Amino acid sequence: MEPFIIITILFAGAFISLLLKQRSIIEFIAAVASLISLGAAISIAFKVASGGTYTPSPLFSIDALGAIVLLIVSFVGFLSSLYSIAYLRAETKQNIIGFHRVRQYFVLCNLFLATMFTATMSANPVLTWIFVEATTLSTAFLISFYNKPSSTEAAWKYLIINSVGLLLGFFGTLLYLTSVQSLPEHSLITWSLLTANAQHLNPLVAQIAFIFILIGYGTKMGLAPMHTWLPDAHGKAPAPISALLSGVLLNVAFLVIVRFKNITDTIVGKEYTQNLFIVFALSSILIAAFVILTQRNYKRLLAYSSIENMGVMALGFGLGGLGIFAAILHMIYHSLIKSSLFFAAGNILLRYRSTKIREVTGMLSNIPSTAIVFMAGFLAVVGLPPFGLFFTKIYILSAGMQHHLVVTGATILLLAILFIGFLRHVTSMIFGEKQPELAKEKESVWLVIPPATLIIIALLLSLYMPPLLNSLIHSAVAQYSL
Amino acid sequence: MLYQTQSLVIATMLFMSFYETRSLALFIVALITLIIKVFVAPQFFNALIKKQVLALSASTYLNTPLTVTALAALTAIAHADVFAPLAFLLPLNESLLSLMLAAIFVSFFLIINRKGAISQMLGILSLENCIVAFAFLAGLEQSPSLQIGILFVIFIWLSIATIFVSMMYKHFGTLDVTTMAHLKD
Repeated sequence: MEPFIIITILFAGAFISLLLKQRSIIEFIAAVASLISLGAAISIAFKVASGGTYTPSPLFSIDALGAIVLLIVSFVGFLSSLYSIAYLRAETKQNIIGFHRVRQYFVLCNLFLATMFTATMSANPVLTWIFVEATTLSTAFLISFYNKPSSTEAAWKYLIINSVGLLLGFFGTLLYLTSVQSLPEHSLITWSLLTANAQHLNPLVAQIAFIFILIGYGTKMGLAPMHTWLPDAHGKAPAPISALLSGVLLNVAFLVIVRFKNITDTIVGKEYTQNLFIVFALSSILIAAFVILTQRNYKRLLAYSSIENMGVMALGFGLGGLGIFAAILHMIYHSLIKSSLFFAAGNILLRYRSTKIREVTGMLSNIPSTAIVFMAGFLAVVGLPPFGLFFTKIYILSAGMQHHLVVTGATILLLAILFIGFLRHVTSMIFGEKQPELAKEKESVWLVIPPATLIIIALLLSLYMPPLLNSLIHSAVAQYSL
Repeated sequence: MLYQTQSLVIATMLFMSFYETRSLALFIVALITLIIKVFVAPQFFNALIKKQVLALSASTYLNTPLTVTALAALTAIAHADVFAPLAFLLPLNESLLSLMLAAIFVSFFLIINRKGAISQMLGILSLENCIVAFAFLAGLEQSPSLQIGILFVIFIWLSIATIFVSMMYKHFGTLDVTTMAHLKD
């Protein structure tokens, strides 16, 4: 029942918003639709935690990892809707956008959330592909939202690279379907059916198919070297959309990859997919580390940090064992922290009207609340204690110590470079010279509450994991460590 | 024109499938494929070219000899032993499956080697056609409802990409993607 509620409410929200001419009602619909989705996602999570994979209809099936991703989509989605209202009002006040843009934004944002939810909940891999592709289509106009040459360029790059990637992913998906030799009429091939029939798949076909999946969905996830669209798209989109792209969408793509990894592992053994994961993970961390060192744009800096963190998650699954547990935790923490950082980046952009790092100085004096959130987000994302990313990185590195010493050593070195690069930029932004003309206006509390909430929750979850999440994480680890 | 022909072949294959099974759902899929890919998509391109007074650019990153060499290499790779398991998915269609695999690689190459935005669009649509043809020949046809879903996504993709091409022309005065260099910082 819940999947239908989520999809109906978000699609209806988008459609009704398209017809409305009153901004406040459009905003209200967006907030309420995302709140109801959050409630429904929590309800699904409880059902999965208590009874295992939840299959409310032949079209939908949600396992433990799917439930975790659903919780992330819904929670970040809800806060993003709230933040969007305040953010777009501030942009309207600065004459950056008008009513039509605002309406377009909320229509597309509702569609974007709906497609992410559906991709996560779909029981059928081809349906999942359709909705992952739909996420690309619903966000293309959000990336080109400001209608500038640079944003149009970023959106085109996003559209082309992701479409090519996803078509390769589609090809890989079709190859996996060869394992199902007979199917009752009017029924669909589900993820569980694919897993049950995995032994019928030719191992060589499985190996080729997984490469297509990893390249295809890896493009969407932002793994290097297919990551080139990501810094441009995340850098040019409105801040709340960057938060959703970085904190949520990448996880949806990752979920699909690990589902196929699980199927492949049962046919060809773990080593094959693990080695591929390690290669893509290390290249992602390597590229992010060196680009962050010389980065000049703080939104792109955050985007490269997402590439690094996707690499860390892939590394966790690549190393296996404790690494898988850590990677799932890493996904949760990273989503919360990165979304918070992108919201804070939105506040910085509103005040400084520039995304260039050298033009942003003295944040602590000019926008103190945002500066504190941004600083906390920085400490969290580079993995300093007591934030959870510290523990997840330690777990992942310890998982690699025994059998992958060189990989672990290289990762430690690259993470150190990343820390230095990030620190250099963030200190100049926060503690640099004060710009008195920017300090006159007070910060809107509605622009600070969403990012602060995300950071506080990330911190709380670092210290205490509620039983619901704990149960889902352990079920997911058991399922994906087979 | 080439894309239209390619799409017509795909639609014909689907109509043949309908002829064998007499399934109304398959007839609808074949008909939608014919309408979207053979009639609507070329109309989109023609309208775009007329509206913006564009010439379809076929300029490439690699010169002609290198392009031909790359195409030959990709065709050889598709027929190499490493991809043999894919050709044997349906032994009856072994050579056709190898050919489709080569077409997939060539379409992919077309996308990355062409400088024109419309050429890139055509490359993507061609890649999708080749994958559909491969699936058909390998006996991996999806249920009609899923096929309609895929066609719907392709149609939306086509509409959005067409709008973006217009936007790009307005901003840059050309559809040569190498002139887009606003993302350096």
